[in-house]
This record gives sequence, C-alpha cells and structure tokens, in this order.
Amino acid sequence: MKNKTIQLLLSGLTLLFLYGCEKELPNYYKIEGYEFASTEPDGGNWTPILIESGDAISIPAPDPVNSASYLQELEDLKTAMAQMSQADANAVTYWTQNPIIRWNEIALELIAKYNLIPGPNEDGSYTLPNPANPNGPPAFPFAHPPYAVRVLAYLSVAQYDGLISAWHYKYTYDRSAPFIQDESIVTAYNDNSDISYPSDGAVIATASRKVLTQMFPLEAKYLAEKETEHLRSLLLSGAHLQSDIEAGKLIGDAISTIALARAASDGMKNAQAPKAVSDSLASAAQARFGWHWVNVEIPKRPVGLTPLFGRVQMWSVENVEQTRPIPPPAIGSAAYEADVSQLKSYADNVTKERRRIANFWQDGLGTYTPPGHWNEFAKEFIVKYRLNPLRSARTFAYLNMAMMDGGISCWDAKYYYHYPRPIQVIEGFKTIAGTPNFPSYTSGHSVFSAAGAEVLAYIFPQEASIVRAWAEEAAISRVYGGIHWTFDATVGTDQGKDVAEYTINKARNDGAD
Amino acid sequence: MCRIYQVQEQKLLFLTLVPPSKKIASLLFAAMYLSISLQAQTPSDALMMNSKQICFLLDYNYSSFDNYWEGELKRENQTIAMVKRNSILSMVAVGILDNLNFYAGVPYIKTESTHPNGGKFAGASGFQDLTVALKYRWLNKQLGNGRLAGLATIGFSIPVSQYLPDYMPYSIGLGTPELSYRAILECRHNSDWYLRGAGTYLWRGYAKAEREYYYNNGSYYTPWMDVPSAITAEAVIGKWLFSDALQIELSYLGSRSLSGDDIRPYNPPQPTNKVHMDRVGVFAHYFFPKLKGLGFLAYHNRIVAGRNVPEMNTTGFGATYFFNYRK
Repeated sequence: MKNKTIQLLLSGLTLLFLYGCEKELPNYYKIEGYEFASTEPDGGNWTPILIESGDAISIPAPDPVNSASYLQELEDLKTAMAQMSQADANAVTYWTQNPIIRWNEIALELIAKYNLIPGPNEDGSYTLPNPANPNGPPAFPFAHPPYAVRVLAYLSVAQYDGLISAWHYKYTYDRSAPFIQDESIVTAYNDNSDISYPSDGAVIATASRKVLTQMFPLEAKYLAEKETEHLRSLLLSGAHLQSDIEAGKLIGDAISTIALARAASDGMKNAQAPKAVSDSLASAAQARFGWHWVNVEIPKRPVGLTPLFGRVQMWSVENVEQTRPIPPPAIGSAAYEADVSQLKSYADNVTKERRRIANFWQDGLGTYTPPGHWNEFAKEFIVKYRLNPLRSARTFAYLNMAMMDGGISCWDAKYYYHYPRPIQVIEGFKTIAGTPNFPSYTSGHSVFSAAGAEVLAYIFPQEASIVRAWAEEAAISRVYGGIHWTFDATVGTDQGKDVAEYTINKARNDGAD
Repeated sequence: MCRIYQVQEQKLLFLTLVPPSKKIASLLFAAMYLSISLQAQTPSDALMMNSKQICFLLDYNYSSFDNYWEGELKRENQTIAMVKRNSILSMVAVGILDNLNFYAGVPYIKTESTHPNGGKFAGASGFQDLTVALKYRWLNKQLGNGRLAGLATIGFSIPVSQYLPDYMPYSIGLGTPELSYRAILECRHNSDWYLRGAGTYLWRGYAKAEREYYYNNGSYYTPWMDVPSAITAEAVIGKWLFSDALQIELSYLGSRSLSGDDIRPYNPPQPTNKVHMDRVGVFAHYFFPKLKGLGFLAYHNRIVAGRNVPEMNTTGFGATYFFNYRK
C-alpha cells in the first residue's frame, strides 16, 4: 500500500516533467521559401533611391549558354551539388530564395546585441562608444533606436537599389537558370526564379555584409561567414551558376559602397553632440519655453542621447522643420495638470492589460528596438503575401526610410522643445518601463510606429487597419509604462503619419504600382 | 515544528519537523526543500513527523543587496540603488506515514528599491509560487555512537499569480514550473552534534515574458524563456542544546546553473541567466518546553560569491506550531 502510493505520486510528477520539457524557441522565422506572387519583368525600370537607374551600375555581359565556359560551369555545379553535405542542405533550406529576410534578421540580432547603454565608470564619468576603438569598453556601437533605424535604412536601401539593378540585367540578358538549361539539375527552391544572371541573392549577400560590417565593425568575421555560407547555398540550390553569383557580388559591392558614402556624410557622426552644444540646446529651450529636460540618472549623464540626430540628412523630407509638431502643453497649464493626473492614475492602477501593452511594445535596451519590431511585422507580411525579393526589398526600404525620417523629425522635436520626462517633474513618480536618456516630447515609439504603420498600410492595404491600430497601441504603451505624456504619444503618432507621407509619395512614383 | 529558509532571488525553503516527544526527537532527522526561484539551492535536513502530526509555519524575512555580480564582475548600480525584498511565507507539513511527509507552502513577496535611485522603477509584489513536496525516509539506522538517516525529497512548484518574471531585479520569482529531486544524509552523534549533506537537482521549465523577442546570445522570437536547471549542494553542522529545546546550525549552500547566459553590461538580469552562488548561513530553532508544539526560529544568511546573482543578505524569523491531527 505504501509503495503503491509512492509510485503513483512519482509517476504523476514524471508526467508533469515530460509535459513541460519541450518548447520550440525559434531563433529565426521558420519558413522554407515559397512561390512568389509575381516575377516583376519590369522591375529593372523602377526608380531606385540612391542611383539614377538600374543600369547605373555595370556588370559584364554573361557568356552565352552554349559557350564552353558556361557548359563547364554547369558540370561544376552538378559536381558540387552531388557532394553536398547535410550542413550544405540545411543552409540552402535556411536561406530560402528570399534571403533578404535572413539578412534583416541578422541586422536585428546585431542591433539587439549592441543595444547596450554604457554604464558609468568608477569615478562617475561615462565613456562613449568610439568607432576608432570599437572594442572599447564600451564596445562600438551603442545600437540605440536612432542608430538602429539608420542601420536598417542603409541596409534596406542598398538591397533595394541593388535588386533594381539586378532586375535590369536579368531582363536585359535573360539567361535562364541552370535548372532550366539542364533538366538533370533539380533546384531546391520553387522554380519561379528562372532568370539567374545576375544572382539577386548574391547582390543581397554582398551588399548586406558590407553595410552591416561598416555599422558593426566587431562583427566583420561573423558577417563574412554568413556571406560565404549564403553565397555557397545560392550555388548549391541549383538556381545559380558561379558566374551568376559573381555578377551579383559586383552589384552588391558597388551599391553598398554608394550607400556607405551617403552614410559617411549624413551628419550621424555629429549626432552625439559635445556637452557645450547639448547644454546650449537646453538653454535655448529654457529661454523659449521656460523648461528643459534633465537626466535624473545616478550618476547623471552629462549629455542626452544624440542631441543632433534631428539634423541628420533625411531620405524624403527636405527640411526637418517642415515636420516639426506643435508645442506641448506648458508646464503647469490645465492640459499639463490633467496629464499628470492621468499618469498617476495609470501608475496607481497597473492592470494586467496595460502592463502587457507596456511590455509588448517596450523594445528597450538589449532588444531590436521599435524599428526592429516593425521590420519583424514587415517580414511576416512579406511571407504572408509571398512577395518576391524585389518587392520585399522595396517594402523594407520604404519602411525604414520612413521610420528613419520619423526618428530624425522626432529627435528634432525632442531637443527643440526639450520637454521634461514624467519622473523629472512628478514628485515620487515611479514607472514600470525604463525612462530613456532624452527629452520626452514627442515619443520615439509613437513616431517610429506610425511612420512604419503608414508604409505597411500603403504596401499591404488589406492590413491597414490592423497596423494602424498597432501603432496607436505602441504609442499609448509608453504612457502606460509611465515614461511619456499622453500628448507625447498622440502628437507623435500624427507626426509619424505626416513624415511617412513624404516617403510614400516617393514610393507611389517609383514605377512599381 | 517546521522551519524555513528563504533566500531572496531564490526562494528556498526548508522545513524541519521536530517530533513532539523528546524520545522520538532524538531519533529523527528530516529535511525538506521546497520551492523554486531564481537560483536554487537546496537546503537539506529536517526531521520526519510521524503519521499523526501536522505542522504550520509562518515566516517573515527581509533581504537586500547593494551589489551584484554581472557575469563574474561584482558591481553596484545606482539605477536600482539598494534593492529590498520582504517575504511572508505560510506553509503546512503533514505526516502521512511515519516515513512519508507532505509539504505545501506559498510566499507573498514585495520588492522595491531604496531612494534615491536613478531608475525610478516601481517595485513588484504578489503571491509567488505554490510548492508541494513529498519527503521519504529510506534509511534510519543506529551506527556506533550515532544515528544515520537518509531521506529523499521530490518537490514541485508553480506560479500562483500572474507576476512578471521578466522584470528583474524586481520580479518576485522565476515564473517557471520547477521539479526538485533531493537526497539528504544526516549523521547525529550521541553528543547531539550533527552533520548533514544534501544534493539537489532542480529542473526548471520556461518563463513567459510579455514580449515576443529577446536576446540570449542570439535572437529569440518567442515570449518563452528557457530557465536554466540547476544543481545544489549543502553542508551543515549543527547541535541540539538544552535537551533538544534549541537547535543551532551553520550551513554552506552552493548552487550552479547548468546552462544560461550572463547578464550583459549594465543591463538587467533575465530569467535565462546562468546563476551560480555560494551562501553561508546560521540558523536557530527554539521549541518551548512548556508550550507544547510551539517553536520560534531565526536565521541569517548571505551570498558570499556568485555569478549573475545579487550579493544578498537575508534575515528571517518564524513561528512553528504542530499538533496531532488524528488519533
């Protein structure tokens, strides 16, 4: 009897153990490629962002399909495919024939890895990450939201322009893929990528590796390994010959060089202004409005995050002041006092739902940031609507251009109005989210999210109402978190929509619609 | 009588039952480890209640830390300043058979930072995890000038409120189910000194965050966080005094996670962290000779070394009361 009782109890616990044991924790989007909704024969004529047109980058004409060199390449490919290892096969499956998804994920991973704010030194001072000494400490970069959105914008724009160029040459030379030339070759992917010169995947691999290596210099080796694996999987998929890949690499190299040249002179290197400049912005706001934001960390950070990010060159807006929002309520005004009461009420009544919303959208330190979150949504829509690589690149490009412009506009407002955070002015106020090191008005989450949502609503009109609702939830999440005023969120949402319109207008006229 | 220990980040809880009669008391040892949380260690020890006894325990403890180990780097952090944790635990222990006891308990925990601090974060509070456990005595043997007891405990704990584990260092628990398997050996000399050793394997499941993405040496596109399982080892030396009215002991507890990542620089901990710690403690339990069934306990322990763990000091007090629940 005693033994039976014990056996029963033990077996019950064993069942619980087994039940709880297995959970899949995905490190990337588990898709295995898909058939594209369209092939885009006219894509080479679309208007790129950085270059004049698809033929602005030159590549050599391919060898004809009846040439000895071509036939030799076909034989080499068959030999290589016959010797594929399991790791090779896994890589082919992983990369898919829309590898922009994977490079976007790699970018998000590096953003999350480097999104760490430098802590204080022993003496209470702070050391800034320095690209001239990337190992630090602190390591370079600090991939905060302005840094992150800029990484994503340059990455996506280079990818998009590179693919317009690739599409131009695909339909100029019209060289069929090896699996069409030789029926004994079976491609690992769906067979609607039937023109292989140049390889669009190789454009993506090389352009992405180059842009990300510039942005994350300590990851050069990691990124080179990714590029090598990706390029090899392009060959082993049976969809490209080595000459297709080499031509794609040429385009990828050229377009990323052009993108990085713009990045080098866009003003970002001055964004983390010295203390004197930072102090002058606070003084100007004090004189103009009678308030200024103060960092309340211990020890106090001498300069806020990127005070001059608002002066970085925008993609679609000529002058940032065109998009500057109306002033916030004056400190002590009735509207201000009403918001103080609202924030106190949220803080005193943290509901399960408000906490969930605050955390879902927090995307704070150590994560892929709000722009990263919107890239994840874009990725899922791209797969849901089976976009081809060119349209995928276009989606990411306009999404990230609009969000970067949104960020620049938001930062202009932040340091022009220099509005205090709730914890600075409400005595004893406590938050459930971390208060960032920059002024309150307007909310970065709100602007990034509204800008991102507008672009996604334009590209995926079926999703318009849901993405706009998400953007509003992302905006109010900051108020629930206790780190933003209600008007930071509502005005920020309007600002994001306004800024996005400039990029969407550009998109409407690029020839893709 | 029962007893309990709680260490902040790791709720660890431990219960000893002293038999009602001194005659039996001198013969029995038992230990029970209850519950879960951030790290785990396992206290060991304890006495068995006989098949008619039930024991209630109410315990309060206070923990705090100024410094913590970020990986292996010990640091302070003025964003959180000093973090305080107050816990109240209620627990029941039931003698089912003379060699089989059942335990159940749940703590209420409140955390917050002292002022001033740079982060202005709200603390957290709530009921943490329900722990149930069974302890079985498989060995109880007279050996020369002493007596050797061997016990095994199996425990299970699970969150009973919707607290957020991904809100460190204020989270009140790890937010995961936990299974504990524990073996205890205790040797009591006729001089009333005793030595006890215990080892535990703690299987932990997954904690659910309220976000869809986190970084753990790579991207994770899921709210589920794999909480590392752990092993612990404990060594105790103790003595019974005043005809078994007072028990005192010194203990060492070591805990090691079997996987996990380090806290990243100047970043909050998360449930996926690899947590190691070495903790030393003192404990005393007094049984009122004239108030049958009533006992008081007090303890203090401190984490003296670790990895991804706070340098936590804990002080606690409790009362135990037992009686026969059947004839």
